[in-house]
Amino acid sequence: MEKLPLMKATDIHKWYGKIHAVNGVSFTINRGEILGLIGDNGAGKSSLLKVLSGYHHQDKGEIFIEGEKVKITSPADARALGIETVYQERALVDSMSLARNFYMGREPVGRAGFLNKRKMAECIDVLKKIGLSINSPNYLVSNLSGGQRQGVAIGRAMYFKAKLVLLDEPAASLSVKEVHRVLDLVMEFKEANISVIFITHNLQHVYDIADRFLVLENGEKVKDIEKDATSVEELTKAVMGEINA
Amino acid sequence: MNKQNSQEIVNIKNKNVFSRIGAVREIIIFGLVVALFIVFFFTTKGIMFSQEALKIIFVAVSELGLVAIGITMLIISGEFDLSVGSISAMGALVAAKLYQLGLNPFLALVIALIVGIVLGGFNGFITVKFNVPSFIVTLATMIGYRGLIYVITEGIPIGFRVVDTHPAFRKFLTGELGVIPVPFIWLVIATIILILILNFRRFGNHVYAVGGNKETARAMGINTDKIKIICFMTLGMLSALVGVMRVSRVRSFHSLQGEGIALLAIAAAVIGGTLLKGGVGTILGAVLGTLVIILIEYGLIMSGVGAYMYNLVLGAVIIVVVILNNVIEQRRK
Repeated sequence: MEKLPLMKATDIHKWYGKIHAVNGVSFTINRGEILGLIGDNGAGKSSLLKVLSGYHHQDKGEIFIEGEKVKITSPADARALGIETVYQERALVDSMSLARNFYMGREPVGRAGFLNKRKMAECIDVLKKIGLSINSPNYLVSNLSGGQRQGVAIGRAMYFKAKLVLLDEPAASLSVKEVHRVLDLVMEFKEANISVIFITHNLQHVYDIADRFLVLENGEKVKDIEKDATSVEELTKAVMGEINA
Repeated sequence: MNKQNSQEIVNIKNKNVFSRIGAVREIIIFGLVVALFIVFFFTTKGIMFSQEALKIIFVAVSELGLVAIGITMLIISGEFDLSVGSISAMGALVAAKLYQLGLNPFLALVIALIVGIVLGGFNGFITVKFNVPSFIVTLATMIGYRGLIYVITEGIPIGFRVVDTHPAFRKFLTGELGVIPVPFIWLVIATIILILILNFRRFGNHVYAVGGNKETARAMGINTDKIKIICFMTLGMLSALVGVMRVSRVRSFHSLQGEGIALLAIAAAVIGGTLLKGGVGTILGAVLGTLVIILIEYGLIMSGVGAYMYNLVLGAVIIVVVILNNVIEQRRK
């Protein structure tokens, strides 16, 4: 028997004024699957991501999670549904401490609604498990490197038991070594049966780890293919818009 | 930070003393306050430490401080309010007018506070819903609210002699508890409440997040508009409270009441280490900043240097402190 996909999106449309940023994209993603969402700049990847993460509501189309139709109208909705987004630039607030960032929007509270600071210190242990050892929960995150910041955001998604993690260009502006760290962390999601949509314009970053690829061009889906059935060359051509030409 | 070959473990050591002692700014400003006390003790030949003088100073500290802590929370959230002087005057006017019409002053105070919340909320609503910089919005309402006051009063002062009819009210707002002026007790209470909210409540975490990086805060599911509007409303309420305090202390409402308080409150916030870009600042810093401003004002007057020196000295102090804050910020990184 065919199991229900974790998420199914059908005929998603998004307009910004007269620009048709996402044009009738449909896709599914299964549990523990890593989906590479690729396309050139302006292909509609970010717009699709913004719809899934609740930043913008789609103008048309439906989203189902485990067979149930859902309405995602705000980032808070998306988080409540188990969709966690790891943004490249916006992952953390620089001027705040590690613990305050880690629990942002989901702060644990104890008696009379006061923050449970002991619980908030646990983020240190969570990060240690994924190989990021920081000695104080009060550490200012502006002192962390790009890769470490991604690590914190990824640890946060794991800790809060996300079902689906959206990674927005996670490898951009990282050193080569740090890219490998982040890719290792993404594989940990897979082991934990968490689904990942990995958004990038750089096929090299995602080819090794992805199970399937979705290629967008001018807001439309031009390819939806298992890794076993394709090759780097074919995908590159699709991204360059040379497919079916 | 150590960059050894760290395939698995990234070990971060906190070597920098500036990032370890989070309260370094407060300590420096506290030192400045102590220094001012010592200097003025000698230049005023001890007058400044007479009970009468201290009372006057602490009433002034309380009135400016209540606005300064409110404006600090708003600046941390990434916004700005120039209209607090006008809101404060509007609160005073509402209380005085209602009292003149025969309303119980306690009830008049409650209504004045609600008016403060509404006017602050209007600033916030226009700012977040129409995406106009709060500097512009509150510049307009600073002028507009004050204009409304002139329209209502036509410039004629309104008496507020609660001391004759309701001595309990005056005691409650501007009396003395033993040797301590009641306004100072209000400042202490409000300071403790805001410190608890900003440091130990979810809302406080969201205020810092919204001011630090609005887009990140939104992505983390925080309703950024709501947070900002609540900060505007809190400031509006505190401003109105100060307005009513002042009118019951001086016993008469004048249309110019509260003019100039916004810039002084912002100065207190800045001296206390609040960054105008948002996301960074403390309530305790704002109280200390208020102390610095008031001590300079009264210290110079009581030293016989003359009131004209005050603005010059204050301006210089603000510049020095801000440069110092920048140095600390650089060292932190």
